[in-house]
Amino acid sequence: MAHLRALQLIQLPTALRTTALSRAFTPIESHVAPCGVANAINSVRRRQYATSPASASHPQSSVNHAEVSHFNTLASAWWDPHGSSRLLHLMNPLRHQFIRRCTNQEVRDPAQKLDYLDIGCGGGIFAESAARLPNVATVTAIDPTPEVIAVARRHQRTDPLLLEGDRLTYLQTSIEDLAQHSPKQQFDIISLFEVIEHIQQPAPFLTSCLQHLKPGGWLIGSTIARTPISWFTTKFVAEDILRMVPRGTHDWNQYIQPQELRDWARGQQELSTSDGLGWQVMGVVYVPGLGWKEVAGSESWCNYFFGVKKLG
Amino acid sequence: MPSPALLKRLLALPPSLRRSFWSSSATAAPAGKPDIYDVVCVGGGPAGLSFVSALQSHPATRALKVALIDSQDLTTSRTANDAEKYSNRCSSLTPSSLRFLEGIGAWEKAREERTQAYHAMDVWDGVSGSKIHFDMVDKQSHGVLDSIAEMVPGSRFQASRRKYETSAEDGVVATMCENSNLTAALLQRLKDFGAGEQLAQVQMWDKTKVDSIDLGPEAVDEKSLDLSQWPIVTTQHGQIAARLLVGADGANSPVRQFAGIPSHGWDYNQHGLVATLHLDHPFTASELRTAYQRFLPTGPIALLPLPDNKASLVWSTNPQHAARLKQLSPSDFTATVNAAFRLMPVDINYMLTPSASNQAEEFAWREPATPASSTGLPSPFPRITGVQEGTVASFPLRMRHADTYTGHRLALIGDAAHTIHPLAGQGLNLGLADAEALATQLAYGMEHGMDIGSCWCLDGYNSERWAANNAMIGVVDKLKKVYSAGSGPVVWGRSLGLEVIDRLGAVKGAFMGAAAGTR
Repeated sequence: MAHLRALQLIQLPTALRTTALSRAFTPIESHVAPCGVANAINSVRRRQYATSPASASHPQSSVNHAEVSHFNTLASAWWDPHGSSRLLHLMNPLRHQFIRRCTNQEVRDPAQKLDYLDIGCGGGIFAESAARLPNVATVTAIDPTPEVIAVARRHQRTDPLLLEGDRLTYLQTSIEDLAQHSPKQQFDIISLFEVIEHIQQPAPFLTSCLQHLKPGGWLIGSTIARTPISWFTTKFVAEDILRMVPRGTHDWNQYIQPQELRDWARGQQELSTSDGLGWQVMGVVYVPGLGWKEVAGSESWCNYFFGVKKLG
Repeated sequence: MPSPALLKRLLALPPSLRRSFWSSSATAAPAGKPDIYDVVCVGGGPAGLSFVSALQSHPATRALKVALIDSQDLTTSRTANDAEKYSNRCSSLTPSSLRFLEGIGAWEKAREERTQAYHAMDVWDGVSGSKIHFDMVDKQSHGVLDSIAEMVPGSRFQASRRKYETSAEDGVVATMCENSNLTAALLQRLKDFGAGEQLAQVQMWDKTKVDSIDLGPEAVDEKSLDLSQWPIVTTQHGQIAARLLVGADGANSPVRQFAGIPSHGWDYNQHGLVATLHLDHPFTASELRTAYQRFLPTGPIALLPLPDNKASLVWSTNPQHAARLKQLSPSDFTATVNAAFRLMPVDINYMLTPSASNQAEEFAWREPATPASSTGLPSPFPRITGVQEGTVASFPLRMRHADTYTGHRLALIGDAAHTIHPLAGQGLNLGLADAEALATQLAYGMEHGMDIGSCWCLDGYNSERWAANNAMIGVVDKLKKVYSAGSGPVVWGRSLGLEVIDRLGAVKGAFMGAAAGTR
């Protein structure tokens, strides 16, 4: 891991893992600013569970131990059809549709198979599905939480296809430490699904992801826009009213607007940010009874996908 | 002497985790590693074969490793070449079933000269004589409902009509086809997939009995493959593990029993009697044909057209009458069938009492005494002149519906999922619709990297088909019950119903849309 900067001492997230009724995790209710966009940026630094990175035992990976323990307690429900990961399973087909939309921009040799890196893979919902696709060569899936990696590996063993060769490799590591763990360093697709909203300083995190992206490859993710609507749906309704996800899963203040991501991308010399060719965004809405639906324009108010291409 | 490794593996198996059905070999731990298949379909009837053909015809599911197991010899299910002889097992294929069969390239393999489309349907009440005539004109007329539907943008009614109108330009209500003709066409299609198109051929194991279905062994250690939640099918060809086990294995489905899925319903205390009949005059291929159904208190009797002067009989009646009918000589049988369409219920009942004999003579003198206007007999109604030897057969009628069509690594299609009264001729059509829906769902799953045996992939199939089938089963069951009444208010009510429906073209159109399988 050559060019780590101090700023990269960030909390590697374990993704939005809605999971079982977590009793162990103490919700951090006090720090949540319940309304008002104005509070947003300033209150970011006041997150209670953002323990000082300097005190972490693993200074280079700076994995947040509070979050790791949060997701440890939720590990068992990853593959429960009626558990709290259900919404993620239901969203998974859209992830593939969005990746296809991005990569279909250019003409590709169908024989050329892709290498995927899934960051914050959790129990492996996306990683497994990517590894089954006929145009995928390998999937490397990383997560810093040991329990979820154990769950992912256990589930991998129930499908002989996923045990073939290096089709699917789980590693318990952060992106900063990937170089030490993974034989593969460069990828065609790097995915960050429901990850960046858990990150305090997304810019350096994204920059360290880019180091592993092949020229011409795509950095693809999904997250939530920071709006009153997303506060209402993902914090108030999902966590407090319906209890679909455990309290404290999300910090609304860390939600990111698509425009902020695009501004970051524009600042990166190696990224292409022209509409369609290098920058893609897709807003999605969960409609109870119908599932996740693409809704044009909704990216600026709630859940959305983004994709940005590395020049090459 | 088994190797130490094998011994270790055998010891690692907890038998408590393995369910099994009927098999005596269930206690024996599976030895060795089973072959792994993506789809194992048990049952090579129309539902199973069309499901496998549909998988082969879709690019996303074409590469799946598929095995099809059937206890019968599938190579013998050829259609007779003799244009004078027709099988007594025929089905009325709706336009949407035909669209599906055309889409998977199977219909072109069917012997078209042995199929017969019909363009109208006459239904009448055996007690009151009130009747209803269905034809395509009803479906195309624009009535009040259309006007309302047009005001509601995107309404389902409007969409279904539009779909219907494009599908039925030729005015076909349904197409009669021998089951053996359909099965042979599907088998031919599968053979061609394997040969001509350089695809992985479906592993066909016919004349193969399923000895047992168990769950797989526990993993040997923490690092190795874990098949403990995979169904393992044992046959004389060895053991195969199924990512998805499909039960297309009929009403007594062993696959459903393995899964422990309950199936609820009741017996109708009725038998379905079938036969291939000869009519008094031949029809050319281009003539418009009509199907006839009369509701008798003992059950509906239907005459469905086959090519030339042939027709298929489906008579649902009580077990005593069915037994009596099977004993009759061909001429007496023919006379009794004519009587069942033309005489009053009291005459028919008399002719089928154990003491009655010489039905041909009975019919000859009773018929002139029964004016067609009093029974509601449609004109022109063909006279039945004979019955093809050896085609009179009967089977008990039941209604059954499985609680769910899916489980972990398991799906049910066709009769394994539901058994329905034949009065609307929907049984096979529902099975084909299941096959189409499941294959479509698997293609979607493959395109999105799903494990096709998981609930994430199969839930869509269950939710799409269960409710639709439940509605159809319910309607047919209620129709059967309403028409079993021999007198009294139910008869007045249903007669009024038929008369009213007959006067409302648009309502009839909507009814026919459902009957023709428009979705």
